[in-house]
Amino acid sequence: MSTATNPALQLNMSQLLSRALEAEMGRDDRIVVFGEDVGGLGGVFGATRNLQRRFGERRVRDTPISEMAFTGLAVGAAQAGLRPVVELMFVDFIGVCLDQVYNQAAKNAYMSGGAVSVPLVLRTAVGLIGAAAQHSQVLSATFAHLPGLKVVMPGTPGDGPGLLLSAIRDENPVVFLEHKLLLKQRAGTARHPGAIDALDQPIPLGQAATVRSGGDLTIATAGWAVQQSLEAASVLADDGIEAEVVDLRSLVPLDRETLTSSAARTGRLLVVDEDYLSYGMSGELIAVVCEELWEHRPRVARHALPDVPIPASRPLEEAVMPNPRTIAEAARRLVLA
Amino acid sequence: MLDLEVAYRSMVRMRAVEEAVQLGVISGEIHGEMHVGIGQEAIAAGIEPLLTDDDAVVSTHRPHLHALVHRVNPVAMLAELFERDGGLCHGKGGHMHLFSPDRDFMCTGIVGASVPIALGYAFARHYRERAGLAVAVLGDGAANIGAFAESLNLAALWRLPVVFLCEDNGYGISVARDAATAGAIERRGEPYGIPGRRVDGTDVTAVYDAAEQAFGQARAGQPALLVCDCYRWSGHYEGDTDHYRAQAEKDAAMTAERDPIQRLRARLIAGRANEDELTEAEAAERARVAEWVAEARAKPSPNPADALSGVFV
Repeated sequence: MSTATNPALQLNMSQLLSRALEAEMGRDDRIVVFGEDVGGLGGVFGATRNLQRRFGERRVRDTPISEMAFTGLAVGAAQAGLRPVVELMFVDFIGVCLDQVYNQAAKNAYMSGGAVSVPLVLRTAVGLIGAAAQHSQVLSATFAHLPGLKVVMPGTPGDGPGLLLSAIRDENPVVFLEHKLLLKQRAGTARHPGAIDALDQPIPLGQAATVRSGGDLTIATAGWAVQQSLEAASVLADDGIEAEVVDLRSLVPLDRETLTSSAARTGRLLVVDEDYLSYGMSGELIAVVCEELWEHRPRVARHALPDVPIPASRPLEEAVMPNPRTIAEAARRLVLA
Repeated sequence: MLDLEVAYRSMVRMRAVEEAVQLGVISGEIHGEMHVGIGQEAIAAGIEPLLTDDDAVVSTHRPHLHALVHRVNPVAMLAELFERDGGLCHGKGGHMHLFSPDRDFMCTGIVGASVPIALGYAFARHYRERAGLAVAVLGDGAANIGAFAESLNLAALWRLPVVFLCEDNGYGISVARDAATAGAIERRGEPYGIPGRRVDGTDVTAVYDAAEQAFGQARAGQPALLVCDCYRWSGHYEGDTDHYRAQAEKDAAMTAERDPIQRLRARLIAGRANEDELTEAEAAERARVAEWVAEARAKPSPNPADALSGVFV
């Protein structure tokens, strides 16, 4: 099917994800879905729509607002042979149940010497959407910092299903970060199609996608910032600056090869991150590249959310969020300096 | 059915295991924090006849007795406690993080975290319409973590086959139960429709009788809560100075009448048991444990290079 006529282009990422989940649940009866409002409502962002109607309350369960209990329940159920897909409505809520994620799910395979595995997926919505400091974070680096969790973040709606299939089929706990703006974005309006023509094919975790080629700098990023960076790249192209944009797709495992080989070619790396600046993904990617390419003395820069809680009012929110203009400015500084 | 002589032998084994572990701490073979369950044996022994191969047990930072009665391989457990390779977790878990998936046994060092995880084991049975229940072991201190309240609600709501088994040894590290816990733990399930009972956890018969009812309810999809009174005969951990408990309190609590093993022994003798035969049985059980310990200690040390592998499966 050619991209232009693919009806999936009319669907947003939440619709694409719910279809992928539905298909995978049809194939694998070990999959159960838990979370707040995942049943009748189909998820506050719609990513579990139709699932309860198709599979019943036995497999698709609204939970009470008890994140500690239902994430812990998912850990036990995974160890007992099921494959829970848990929705944490907003990633910001991880504060009330992190223990079960980082002390139990993430560690049990290692602590058991490989005797147990915890194949669960924690799906959660991230990113700025006008909901202020407690409902707008990304927190990808928080999870990526903790050993034992895979961390996946689609950068375009078309990659959502393939990445989700890999996450569900993985034997390890996977934190699946869904940007709210991507959940609402129709695949056809995205700045790159991703795997929209191969939605039933799992996308291996740890495989970045070079979504734009260019020789002047590498922009490495993930999530909604991929779309923003591509927009910035087209602005830069008008100025004669060609940016290569690498969509990491997963932070853990990290595709070091694609990252460093691109940075080696361009000699410049800009990391764009909607998560906080300090101790974050931007510093980590730059460290990886500098350690690997120190002989080439790569020039590096980071553009991330400043270290402030995210404000509510639109002008204030826009002042902290990386956007195509600020990304292009950061890229120009790096290239022209 | 509770066979008192079987229970006696079982408790003697538990005591011998914990005493061997204490010696391992003194010798330095066990270098980490260690929590033993001396004084709490009758609780594990009381549920032992009720546990089946279909059941799961999720225990705490004081887990050895529950592992033994759920028939986790004792040599493999001891090898893990003695920080050897070739045990349950190849030296990566240690005594608070024992995993024996062949028995659906695990424990966790985070107080209260065992409770929701046990719900997951119960849910898997419920979902698969398979026999079996999950035992969520917790201490009196864990009764105050929010996850316990959340789990009572969820278990009742979803009618999960789970028994909440609370070992109330009177202390959360140094803080006495009454200084940390308002009201009666056994009544905390009532608002959710989960019946609770409190029994003397040093009396194996009392534990068994109450557990029989609780297990029966849970197997029928009605979660149950059982609180067992006991006393922590050791410090919180081996090496704990334990200065926070008054000597008079300890003297009053740690008597032959309140030692679950001596108490049962006296009862067996008052019945028709032959004292010499009991002594022989005790020696035989202690010899058995000594063999387990020797076998565990003979296993090799882990290879330091293995520390970096196995984060992902």
